[in-house]
Order: sequence, then C-alpha cells, then structure tokens
Amino acid sequence: MERYRVNLMLCGGTGCIASGSLKIKDALADEIKKRGLQNEISLTLTGCNGFCAQGPILIVHPDEIFYEKLTPDDIPYLVEEHFIKGRPVQKFMYKEPEKRAAVPTMNDIPFFKYQVLRALRNKGLIDPENIEDYIARDGYMAAAKALLEMTPEEIIKEVKESGLRGRGGAGFPTGLKWELCARVQADQKYILCNGDEGDPGAFMDRSIMEADPHVVLEGMIIGAKAIGANKGYIYVRAEYPLAVRRLQKAIDQAKEYGLLGENILNSGFSLDIEIYQGAGAFVCGEETALMRSIEGKRGMPIPRPPFPVVKGLWGKPTVLNNVETYANIPQIILNGAEWFRSLGTEKSTGTKVFALTGAVNNVGLIEVPMGIPLRTIIYDIGGGIKKGRKFKAVQLGGPSGGCIPESLLDTPVTYEDIVKTGAIVGSGGMVVMDDSNCMVNVARFFLEFTTEESCGKCPPCRIGTRVMLDKLIDITEGRGREGDIELLEDLAQDIIKTSLCGLGQTAPNPVLTTIRYFRDEYESHIYEGWCKAGVCRELSTFYIDAEKCKGCGVCAKACPQDAITGEKKKPHSIDQSLCIKCRTCYEKCKFGAVKVGPRDMFKEEMEEVEA
Amino acid sequence: MEGNILIVDDEEVVIKSCERILSPAGYNVKGATSGEEAINILQNGGFDLVITDLKMPGIDGMELIRWLRKNSPHAGIIVITGYPSQESIRDALQLGIIDYLPKPFSPELLLDITEKAMNTVKAKKIEEKPVEVKDVEAKIGEIMSAIGQNKGKPGALIPVLQQVQEILGYLPPTVQRIIAKELNLPVSEVHAVVSFYSFFTMKPKGKHNIRVCLGTACYVKRANEILGKLKEILGIEEGGITEDRKYSLETVRCLGACGLAPVVMVNHDTHGAVDPVKVGDIIKQYN
Repeated sequence: MERYRVNLMLCGGTGCIASGSLKIKDALADEIKKRGLQNEISLTLTGCNGFCAQGPILIVHPDEIFYEKLTPDDIPYLVEEHFIKGRPVQKFMYKEPEKRAAVPTMNDIPFFKYQVLRALRNKGLIDPENIEDYIARDGYMAAAKALLEMTPEEIIKEVKESGLRGRGGAGFPTGLKWELCARVQADQKYILCNGDEGDPGAFMDRSIMEADPHVVLEGMIIGAKAIGANKGYIYVRAEYPLAVRRLQKAIDQAKEYGLLGENILNSGFSLDIEIYQGAGAFVCGEETALMRSIEGKRGMPIPRPPFPVVKGLWGKPTVLNNVETYANIPQIILNGAEWFRSLGTEKSTGTKVFALTGAVNNVGLIEVPMGIPLRTIIYDIGGGIKKGRKFKAVQLGGPSGGCIPESLLDTPVTYEDIVKTGAIVGSGGMVVMDDSNCMVNVARFFLEFTTEESCGKCPPCRIGTRVMLDKLIDITEGRGREGDIELLEDLAQDIIKTSLCGLGQTAPNPVLTTIRYFRDEYESHIYEGWCKAGVCRELSTFYIDAEKCKGCGVCAKACPQDAITGEKKKPHSIDQSLCIKCRTCYEKCKFGAVKVGPRDMFKEEMEEVEA
Repeated sequence: MEGNILIVDDEEVVIKSCERILSPAGYNVKGATSGEEAINILQNGGFDLVITDLKMPGIDGMELIRWLRKNSPHAGIIVITGYPSQESIRDALQLGIIDYLPKPFSPELLLDITEKAMNTVKAKKIEEKPVEVKDVEAKIGEIMSAIGQNKGKPGALIPVLQQVQEILGYLPPTVQRIIAKELNLPVSEVHAVVSFYSFFTMKPKGKHNIRVCLGTACYVKRANEILGKLKEILGIEEGGITEDRKYSLETVRCLGACGLAPVVMVNHDTHGAVDPVKVGDIIKQYN
C-alpha cells in the first residue's frame, strides 16, 4: 500500500450526505489535484461518524483533527492552511457550547471522550465499500479462527461466557439462543440478521450496516458455523437504500475473496447470504413476523412455542440476531469472553450503541459501556439540554419503552436497571425531552404509532391500543374526564397480559411510564384544562408576561397571524381572538416572556368582547 | 343529449326554470337549494355536470367547487352568477370550471353551454378511465422481466412487488392481477400483502414524492406542523397527489436521520433541520 502524508476521512453516512458531504468530496478532490498533492494526501469516504448534527464531518489523520459543518467554499482555504502550511484551521473545528473554544482533536470532544468503540470500532476509519480496508483492521480473522480452529461447541461456549445479550431489544442471551438451535437436528437451518430497525428515533443498525457492513457478515459466518446453518438472510428496511447497497457490495466482495460461498477458506464449511428488503411494517421486527415476511406473506406473528430455533423460517430451525449483536461477535472470538466482560456489569456485559437525539446539544450515535449512568450520557456526552432549557424526560426503547424522569437519571444503563424504571433498553433509541414537551402528547404519539402498526391479528392489541389512543386523544383535546387515567392503567394491564407478541405486550409502556412519573400533567389536562407545555392547542393560551418582555419585537415579526402588537421596547401583547396557538412566539422569545396559561384564562374577557 | 345534471341555487325559481328548459332536451335534472344539500346529494356520485350559483348562504359556490374538485373530479362544473365580478370568475376558472352563465340568461344560451360542457365531460371520461391500464401497458416488458427474474424462488412475491413498484411507481389492481397469474398465487394473497406493508401503494406517486418523517425525534421538533403546512401549500392530504401529478405527499415513521430532525425527503434528497415556516421554499426547488 502507498503511504500518504495525510489521510482524509470524510463522513459518508446518511446524515452527512444529506448535509452535503458528497460536494465536499468533489471539492477536496479538485483542490488536491489542482495543487498536485495526489501522492501526499489520500481521501476516503467513510461510514457514519456518529456526530450527525455537525455534518459534513472531516477527520484528518494522523493527528485526528476534527472539522465540522464544512461547505465547498471552505475547501481551498482549508487545503492551503492545513495541508500545505501545516496550520490546522480553528474556525472549522468543533466549539464547546459554553466557552466557544475550539477543540482540535476528535478524542478531546466531550461527545467522543466517554465513548468506548467495540461494535463501532471501524466507524470513520475504513472505506465501507472496500473489503481490504476491513481486512487491514483484523477483519475476517475471527471468522478464520472460528472456521479453522474452533468447534461449534467452543464458539457457543465463548459467546455464552461473554454474557452477550441480544441488542435488538429483549436482551435474550445470544449464546443460549445459538445453543438451543445447535442442539436441534435438521437437514436445513437458517441464520438471519434483523436489520429492520423500526423504532422511531433509532438509527444504530443503519449506521453499522453503512459504516462497516463486513462486520455483520463476519458475525453471521461465525454464528452459522455455531448452529450449522448454510443459508443466511439479512432483512433490511427498504427505507435504508444506502445500507442495502453497501451490504450487497460487501457480500459480492466477500464472495470474490472466498469468504462466503462454498468451502470458505478451505474449511469445508459453506454459507450463502442474501439480502431481503422489508416493505415497511414495524411488526416485522418481531422474529416470527419477520420470518413470515421472508416467506413472502403478510408479516404477522405466530404463537410460540414452537420457538424459531426449533421451527422458524420455512419450518426449519432458525436463529435471528440483531445487526449490533453480530457486530460484537468477531471481537469476542478474537479477544475472548473475559475481555468482553471487562466492560459492563455482571448481567449486562460489554457496550451498547445508542442513538442520542432530541433536546440535547450533541446529537448522534454513541457507544458506551453498559452500566454508565443516564446522567453521564445526557450531560457529558450529550452536552446538556439545548438553549439552556430544563430536562424533563428521556425516552428509551421507542414505542415499547418508556419515559424516565429527572429523579431517576442516575440509573445505570443495564437491561435489569432500566426495566425497573418501566422502560426498556430496547434497540437503543434515546430521545431527550425538555420542558417544552408535553408528556401526554408524547404518550399519544407512541400509541398512534403502535395502533397503526398493530398487525391486527389479536384483538387485545388491535382494539385495546385503539381504545387507549381514543382516550389519549380525548385528554389532549380537552375532553378528558375523571376516571380516564385509571381506565388507561387498567386497560394497559389487560393488553400487556393478553397480547400475542411483543408489540402488543409492550405497547402500553409509554402510557404507563408517563402516568407513573408525570401524573400531574395528565391531571392538569383533565381537571384544569391546561397543557402547561403549550403543546395541546385546545388546552393552552399564550400570553406575554409584561414584566419579562423587553419589547424586542421578535415575536411580533414571527407571528403568522399578526396577532402580536406593541411599541418598541415596551411590553407587547397577544390578541387572543387572532391567535392560532402555533407556538411560534413561544419558541422565538429569548427572554421567556411568552407564557402558557390554561384554556379558559381569558374566557370571560373574550365573552365580553363578543357580547 | 343524455346526462345527469344537478342545479344548485338558493332561489328555487332558478332551479325550476332550468329544469323546464333542460328536461325536454333529454337531461336528467335534479336540484339543491344550498351547498350543504348539494354535497349530500353528490356524495353518492352519479352526476356528470353541476350547475351552481356562486353566492349562497352557508357553503357557497366556491366552497362547493373545491369540494367537487377533491371528491368528484370527473364532474363538470358550470357557474351561474348574478354579479360576474372578474375576480370570482377568475378564481372559479382556476379551479377548473368548464364555463359560466351570467344572470339573466336565455334558454338558448343555457342549452348551448350545457351541451358543450356535457361533451367535454364525456370526452374526458373516455380518455381518463384506463390511466392505470395505460401505465401498465407502457411498462409491461419491464414488469414481466422483473417477475421472470424471481419466478420459482421461495418467497418471491415481496421482491417482485418491490421491483414492479420501482418500475411503475405504484401497484394498481391491474398489475396485481398480472403478478398473481404469473406467480401462480390467488389475487387475494397478492392484495393481502400489498395492503399489509406500508411501503406498497396502490395510488400513483407524483413526479416529486415528498416524505415527511414523523419519527420521535422529528415529532418533538414540530414535524406535525411541517406536515400541516405542506398539506396547506399543496392542497392535498397524506397519501394524496396533486391534480397535475407533480407532487405527492406521504409520511414515514422514521428515516433514521434523527440527528438532522426534523427531516423531509423529496425524491431521494434528504432535507434536515427543516423550519415549518419555510418548508415552502424547499418545495419550490422542485419543478
């Protein structure tokens, strides 16, 4: 391989492509050529770096200088200053939110500092479309070890001892699942990868498939050997076209290199892997539904037992693991179970990838050791709440999870501790909410989701979630009544107990946790006619606090109804008869002068005006 | 001349006189004295032509025309107006009315205009009916080869549907029947799969397909306001398509670009950190 003086790693994840990284790539290539630096500087388009909101992101090796939010116009100056004159350019670096000081290197940025990369170890370091980059980072070493030096029993023992639990949500021990399937005698077995990442707010699996597709294949090869399967499918959402393309390319390259197909590495073991594109049904994340979908049918779950490890795809023993689970396997085989257990807790070992989004300053993809407190994730990695607002809750586990309040922020992130709060670790979506979010409305959002995505097979889920949703709509639109909260709690228990699959069994969680921790919000909606966050239009009145208003006029300018009037530098006011409660003024005011009052705040005055 | 006509006017005498003139000419004529009553009658369909007054209490003529455009786009419309203000006629013409009658009008003019409008409606009907059939016929070669590639493989149905939708943009009943026959499956099974998965659509997509992400991260950043604004700008609902087939609007559960929330995708372009107020500017880039 040629040696370059400088290696440029430009992020080519979905987020950075959306913010224009392909244009940056062209601009860089042009500039490098123009200055005749082709032999000194290499340029690689990598997978997702993780710090998506700062894109397009460029990392300059060997010094690991981190540049963010680049535009094509910045490139000539950057090349001149940094790569020719050797002066890294401060103005393109990451700035700390408070101090505004530039942070030159990636590992000093708080967002990265607390992370430990295992599943994501290759992110931003390799070209995902080049198998040699992967091999250069010890890629396929674990597969070779498993195929040539280990028996299936030894592989299973290593994975079992590592304590690895399924990263898709339920946290079932991976080694045990493999063992159960390995024990079954059959002429045909299947190994499946679940890349049907359906939780809204989660994009971990997408990033792995886009940034490091070969690690998924390698994990599957090892799993296939352990259970004795020679056919595999990767089930990917059709909404992830880039992931599909890169995985396909990875499969083709692996075949070309003899790492997939007949008699891999002369071991006598054969495995063929195909991609199967999902068609947009959340329930297909459930294993039995996913298998029906691959069979070309409606993706509806079936009762278990028989479990898929005994009778799965086309009635044959089948193991299904999540993308992130597979991404952990090669490292366990190479470094051993003890190494894997060195991070995390007794029952939750290793690391977990989370998609941190919502109201925090730093959003993106993170990998942290299990057992890290939520507070560290939100305040140290996430950099605290945006615009200095107040933290209200963090939502974990998507539509199957729940909202965790401020008082429980010191909870360590492990499967067993998070369950105690009423939420679940889930696949790793972590959405932070501030005081401008209404928790009743959030519960309604998730119920809308599950109601729509319920496959309709079993009545508790199909009808139960609908009835719960109707109640939540009533409450958020001002028709809540005494007894509604109790009814919701009661119904939730029935749905949990009687639903056929995980979708229904967990659908009430967002409602139950919000009632548990934010009951006062439900009560103020029902009894006071007041959505204190100003989200539920029918239950809020926007008004300006004369004492706090500086008369800057920003709100008046932003108001689409021209409902705000006032002289400059004097308190403004809102004409209630014109206000459509769009919240724009509330969002725009920098002084917190726009307040939210209950629905009937100006009722008497309005009636007087009308009279 | 044949055809079903609805006359809408708050003055009963106008309805009566129109009926007297049009019935002998062979038309089947009904009347409604308000916009509300007209919508009630029109809901069941079956009218070729609606002749309506503009100024009426309650639901007025313009509102009725808008309702017709959305719910019964094949019906032709003629406007009667006592005060032919340039402004209102222009608005009505923009909504696609065929012609207008200034009050008072002679029986001859009414008959002439009605006949002309009826011909337009019928011609359009013949031309419009088999759009989906035409769409399928135009691409039948590609469709058959997509089916051929997957035939015989286990679980071929979903990949076939995906590829055909990629070719055609949607999966109308005509093509579902072809797929069923070729894969030797009952049509009911094909339809069951099409209707189950949200990725499949039986409605055509616009030249520019707009997808609003309603994932959690986008939702807490006011994605529903973006959706509302788009509905307002385009005048269509979720899953709808503008009349010129230029834009279609749909929502998705999560595009997995949460770091950029709120996100709107137009065709294959992802637009991040979208401001609900300025979403119109994004649409303008696509013509």
